Amino acid sequence: MMGSMLGDLPSFDPHNFSQLRPSDPSNPSKVVPTTYRPTHSRTSPPPDQVITTEAKNILIRNFYQRAEEKLRPKRAATEHPTPEHGCKQPRASTT
Amino acid sequence: MFKTNNVTSRIFERQIRTPAPGTSVHSARRFYENLVPSFTIYDVECPDHSFFKFTDDGQYFVCFSRNRQDLIVYRPTWLSFSCKGEDCDNNQELPPQAKRFESFFTQLYVKPLASCNELICKDFFLYMESNQFGIFATSTAQIQDARGTDGAILGVPSFEKITIHLFRLEDGFKLDEKVFHNDCVNLTHNMGAFLYDDLLAVVSLRYQTIHILQIRDSGNLVDVRAIGAYCREDDELFINSSSQLAGNRGDLVDNGTNHDQPNSNNSFLSGIKQRLLSFIFREIWSEETDQTQRVQCLKKKFYFHFQDYVDLVILKASRNTDQLPAFFAVYNMETTEIVAFYQNAADELYLLFERFCDHFHATSINSMYMNFISSHSNNIHALEQLKSMKNKATSISQFVKKMLSSLPLNCQSMSPSPYFDQSLFRFDEKLISATDRPRQSTDHPIRFNSRRQGDILKFKIKTGPEFGSADGRSKKYSHFLFHPVWPLALSFIQPSLFLPPSAVNIHFRR
Repeated sequence: MMGSMLGDLPSFDPHNFSQLRPSDPSNPSKVVPTTYRPTHSRTSPPPDQVITTEAKNILIRNFYQRAEEKLRPKRAATEHPTPEHGCKQPRASTT
Repeated sequence: MFKTNNVTSRIFERQIRTPAPGTSVHSARRFYENLVPSFTIYDVECPDHSFFKFTDDGQYFVCFSRNRQDLIVYRPTWLSFSCKGEDCDNNQELPPQAKRFESFFTQLYVKPLASCNELICKDFFLYMESNQFGIFATSTAQIQDARGTDGAILGVPSFEKITIHLFRLEDGFKLDEKVFHNDCVNLTHNMGAFLYDDLLAVVSLRYQTIHILQIRDSGNLVDVRAIGAYCREDDELFINSSSQLAGNRGDLVDNGTNHDQPNSNNSFLSGIKQRLLSFIFREIWSEETDQTQRVQCLKKKFYFHFQDYVDLVILKASRNTDQLPAFFAVYNMETTEIVAFYQNAADELYLLFERFCDHFHATSINSMYMNFISSHSNNIHALEQLKSMKNKATSISQFVKKMLSSLPLNCQSMSPSPYFDQSLFRFDEKLISATDRPRQSTDHPIRFNSRRQGDILKFKIKTGPEFGSADGRSKKYSHFLFHPVWPLALSFIQPSLFLPPSAVNIHFRR
């Protein structure tokens, strides 16, 4: 338990705060903070990530987004005679 | 940022305190709560001109002569006067020599703008702040029975000559002009034109073309593009050089109504219409393939939006679109593609309008003050007003249509004066607002209350001594011109919309 103002806040590196001297010299315990380490790297940014400002303003971006959504071809019954689901087949007329 | 309302202690606070990040302009504007145009000089003697507008940087005051032939430009100044005697400071009355129009405005020049058979379009003016260039328009009278000429559509009035003039406002030197022959451009309230940075877009209604002009620093107006019949600069060359098409090219000639079949047998549709039709086609195709025929019957007029010069141009259709369905299209000038197309009552478009209204203004980066004009997208009070109007509306679709009919928003149509900033002042928008239009005037003074200081009255704009006597019943119209920066405003009282003002008042901070 760190007797300093830092309380028992964790750190990601156990070697941090090694220089810290406790305020009470009569209690010279070596303070090692509780260490938390991420268990995955899913949330770390890609190493080549570059953050820039989007040149298009938000209104134009919206227009383009909606246009893309609308123009993405949807399933049209007449356009795709073969069914999406393999299990269903159009009933062939008999004779 | 400020803890007190007193201007002196605010000045001291400003010395020691930093405003929150990104709010330095907002903090500075709060000083307008302390400096208000509360003093009025009534019924000022002024020259008989048609007073039009302050430029958005406050450097010039643009007027036209009563006969609409000359341009008269004033420099706004501030009054100064000397006073002899013991008790000058406490004297409520200004000395008579101070109460003149000339105390506030110095005439710079008078220049002829329109030649003998032309008139200045007195509702049209665009200002290019970076170079202090002004853009005016003159036109000849409307031609009765205009014949359809090559490429022109019928149903639109024709004017023999419409001229766009480019002036250097500093000295009134005419730099350049662009003439449109036998054409129609809607010039009221800057509707048919849009200025963005150094690009000027003008809609030719008769020829259904958007002309893009560049204003060079040297003062030349250069044709950049004409979007309409052809979308890219080399389209015309390409079509002309194809021998089998040589006899066949032309623009669609419509009459005034929608019709179900385009004249596809003897002419090509104009380039822009082709883009639009193909966009709509693709949109409908991706939904269902049934109604491709429906695509054909929609077009007559359409809107374009002018954003930055790699993207679209928005201009207005002319007359009232109550009967005709009206549409809004977004066109990318560089890729010559239509990006979006909406009917004017589209909920989707209204949503974008509600959230991103500022971007419909298409303000260029250079004019900083434009970012601070209150709109319902950047101001909570304006948004509340809009929402309460929406809740009170009897029909939502009518409300949406009414709101969207103002799109595309006219260029430079709102006053940047901080007294219209909804986060500083509360005022009745039916009586006065940032879009300057003559409104029915009221006998009562127009109150500007503080938003932040418990709704106390900050100042009043009174347009005349309270009349109620002789002409109490007659309606009067008033309209206001606020200086963009100073605590200075002019009010004009007109007995009717078509007559010159009967009184001009000056409101300023004494």
